Amino acid sequence: MQGVPLVAFLALGLFMFTVGVVGVIMRRNPIVIFMCIELMLNAVNLTFLAFARYMPAPVVTNPSIPASVMGGQMMVIFVMAVAAAEVAVGLGIIMAIYRLRDSVDIDEMNLLKG
Amino acid sequence: MDSSAITWVLGLPILGFLIQAFFGKTIVDAMGPAKGKRLLGALAVTPIAAAFAIGLGITQKLYSEGHEGGHGGHVVSLFSWIDLASLKVPFELIVDPLSMTMVLIITGIGALIHLYATGYMAEEKDYPRFFTYLNLFVASMLILVLGNNLALLFIGWEGVGLCSYLLIGFWYKDLANSKAANKAFIVNRIGDWGLTLGMFLIVAFLGANWSRLPIQDGRLLSYDVILPALETLLKENVPMATAIGLLLFVGACGKSAQFPLYLWLPDAMAGPTPVSALIHAATMVTSGVVLLNRMHVVFEISPIASGVVCAVGAFTALFAALVAFGQTDIKKVLAYSTVSQLGFMFVGAGSGAYWTGMFHVTTHAFFKALLFLGSGAVIHAMAHNQDMRNYGGLLKYLPKTGWTMIIGWLAIAGVALPIAVGTAPGLGFAGFYSKEAIIGAALANHHATINGMNLSVISGWTALFVAFLTAMYMTRLTFLTFFGKEERWRSIPAHAEHGHDDHAHQADHAEHGHDDHHHGPDEHGFFFTEEEMAAQPHEHEHHHELDGTHTPHEVPPSMWIPLAALAVLSVAGGFLLYNNHFFEHFLYPNDLPVLGKVEYHPHGLPLDLLWLSIIAAFGGILAGALVYAKGLPKKEGFDESKWNPFRRLAGEQFLYDKSMMGGAVDGGRELGVGIWKGIDSWLIDGTVNGLAKVAGGLGTGFKAIQTGYIRLYALMMLLGGVGLVGWFVYQASQLGGGR
Amino acid sequence: MLEGFSLPFPITPQLGVFALLASIAAIASVGVVFFQDAIRSALCLVINFFVLAFLYFSLNAEMLGITQIVVYTGAIMVLFLFVIMLLALGSQKLVKEKLDPKKFIGLGLGVVMAGAVASQIVLPLAKITAIRAPDKFGSPQAIGYTLMSQYVYPFEIASVLLMVGIVGSILLAKRRI
Repeated sequence: MQGVPLVAFLALGLFMFTVGVVGVIMRRNPIVIFMCIELMLNAVNLTFLAFARYMPAPVVTNPSIPASVMGGQMMVIFVMAVAAAEVAVGLGIIMAIYRLRDSVDIDEMNLLKG
Repeated sequence: MDSSAITWVLGLPILGFLIQAFFGKTIVDAMGPAKGKRLLGALAVTPIAAAFAIGLGITQKLYSEGHEGGHGGHVVSLFSWIDLASLKVPFELIVDPLSMTMVLIITGIGALIHLYATGYMAEEKDYPRFFTYLNLFVASMLILVLGNNLALLFIGWEGVGLCSYLLIGFWYKDLANSKAANKAFIVNRIGDWGLTLGMFLIVAFLGANWSRLPIQDGRLLSYDVILPALETLLKENVPMATAIGLLLFVGACGKSAQFPLYLWLPDAMAGPTPVSALIHAATMVTSGVVLLNRMHVVFEISPIASGVVCAVGAFTALFAALVAFGQTDIKKVLAYSTVSQLGFMFVGAGSGAYWTGMFHVTTHAFFKALLFLGSGAVIHAMAHNQDMRNYGGLLKYLPKTGWTMIIGWLAIAGVALPIAVGTAPGLGFAGFYSKEAIIGAALANHHATINGMNLSVISGWTALFVAFLTAMYMTRLTFLTFFGKEERWRSIPAHAEHGHDDHAHQADHAEHGHDDHHHGPDEHGFFFTEEEMAAQPHEHEHHHELDGTHTPHEVPPSMWIPLAALAVLSVAGGFLLYNNHFFEHFLYPNDLPVLGKVEYHPHGLPLDLLWLSIIAAFGGILAGALVYAKGLPKKEGFDESKWNPFRRLAGEQFLYDKSMMGGAVDGGRELGVGIWKGIDSWLIDGTVNGLAKVAGGLGTGFKAIQTGYIRLYALMMLLGGVGLVGWFVYQASQLGGGR
Repeated sequence: MLEGFSLPFPITPQLGVFALLASIAAIASVGVVFFQDAIRSALCLVINFFVLAFLYFSLNAEMLGITQIVVYTGAIMVLFLFVIMLLALGSQKLVKEKLDPKKFIGLGLGVVMAGAVASQIVLPLAKITAIRAPDKFGSPQAIGYTLMSQYVYPFEIASVLLMVGIVGSILLAKRRI
């Protein structure tokens, strides 16, 4: 899609990231906090892709398929993999806690109190 | 030169050491004490004797080569030891007249003393341990003299120091022996400090003049490299020669028991008598003289260092001879006599006549080993009582020991007759020739001159006076021991009958009666197990005490045969070595590189040197005889409060030992306590504890932040993140608004 | 348009389409944080991810757009909804959100951060409109080739990570194994 500047994507990414950050601080429901984290990850993914398209690394290592151009997309793929693993484990933890305490209020989880 | 022969000389004692160390106990256990000990004794003596035989062959060859003109010595490189870029220290041996002389003394006298020890230590339970140490000592001493570099010399130096320590403390269950061993070891450290610094200085000095070295292969400690180099380089830098010489002399002082550091040698008599003879009289203590001979170039160049050597030697000789008059313990007298004779050697070496030092080393090894072994035989015969005041008239009980010791006495006194034979001015015992050469060299030379004061001449006259004193105190020893009608031990009541405080005589006797009276060959062995000690402490106390019922018996053949051999050497050895300048030309075939020809026949004396020496010897003997012929003078009896002040002071080494040990030990303790309280407790503990408290306080303070609320943590993280972004933004604005 | 003010990039029809999609995504993201009910939040997130997938298509990253729909909207969000419903965390069991100074501080800090990043990073890049990546850079062939050649080790490590994640979640979820 021609005619859309890089900043448009960056602005959207920044907005989503900020909303995610604020959400993590403000909400007490751990599931929502997880969602906010996903929101931040996606904001970053969007930024990666935007940069990959508009400002790819100038170094060309392979003439047929410039690998350096692929860096941004590769990053996104690995972020997705990590996010998937994180959600699986994270939700497992939340379920375990819920079974143990019958509540998921994050402010009640203060075993780390010094 | 056949390198394997010299390797065997060094290897055999090491082999003997390994056999004793690893199989000694097994052999004794397997064959039973009597047979096992006999075999072990043979295994201990054989390697040393074989090494002596091989050494004799090598020396013979070397001597004939010397006649043909080649005399620099041979270097036998065995393997590479330290191999750095600019410093290489191979394990290499030197075969030259100096090293071979020492090899013959060490192995020859060593073999005789080993033989003696098989008899002396026959009842010892720890027989293998004793011979392990003794063989190791011989091996170390051989490394010391045979090594072709100062590093190997240092290995040997430390090795003999270790063996000395182990053997002084051989009967380690007695606290006094352990303390004597520690004293020897610690005092020797001071000497080692000097020696190592001297070595480092040589390496540093030669390294700095690398381009001028004759052989630039990095062997900065090997004699064949450094001696020619030092000769040329030090001539331009005399203060450096003085520094190196003085540092090396500090090392020599420690090992050879010279004045400031002689303290350990008298205490070293706590070891078994064969050890006193081998290590603390004949070989180890002479290594300082060997070092001076080895590095004589340095001393030739520096008159100051030579002057110090002379002065220290002369003072030590005088001091120790005076102290010897105040000693009642027969071994202590011999110990001070050794210190005194070592002083003679240094006077000779300091005067520039290095060969006279070595000559006296050799003759002294003969007669002092003889005297020590003889005293050991006497002590053995007298139930391990070492106090001469309990002896008297022993000649009829111990004829072999007595007559050989009398030869030793005449030899150390320097007795001679004014009959010129060969090139020798007089005909006399061994001690006469070496002492005469030393005194002559000292009086004839002016090398050791500091600020116009000719120290060697002063030392020479001192040495002559000390020769008189030597004859006198040795006469005292001989007369108190062997002559006189009174058999003084007869007056000691049998132990079963007396209490501790019956009268002054007994009290004093108990106090001065003997350092190691409960050690020595006896049917119960030297050692008591813990249980035995606990079970019979009183028996232990009095078991071997000499009393009036005792009858001395002559020692077994294994003990008197070495005495006889040494007696022959003491009679003839001096003349054989002296005649036709044999020893002088063997050791130093050429004139000295710096001093040239060294004179040892002084001119312009009021009386011929020969007559002076003879007068000193006979005068001393006569003076001694006048005082002691009638037996123990009342003024030297058991009641020491009746002694005259001189003798009392001499008995206490003129308070030197007391003040030194007091100063060092008490001062050391004060320093230690100061450091402990000031630095350890206050500074270090304070710092560590303070840090711990700070950390603890910070932890307690920051604990409040740890609320356990995850969202608060997230907030903190965000705060950090914003701060970080802010920092980047600031940096970017500094660089021009992000462009 | 105000006189004297001009955007550093031209207004194009494509920009209009982008604005539409972006506003949907932005509103949906706000909804995630705004709704008290976790199910509604989740649904908002689904919308957001779905729109993002379209934006990926518009960036010529076809492969990742499809992956976004399949992995995020398809798998991860279903997992979220599944957990929410399993724990019955719907409207009946709301976690009560109280007024809290942390909220305002968080909001403030978020805005500050956004402002800082926007002023220093987004604005300086405003003039970039040219697309420099080749057309086919997001095709499955290109991605597959790169993943299997240059990025093969990270790829394999990611597979191990997922495996560990699976095993871990099973361990956590099962009462008894």
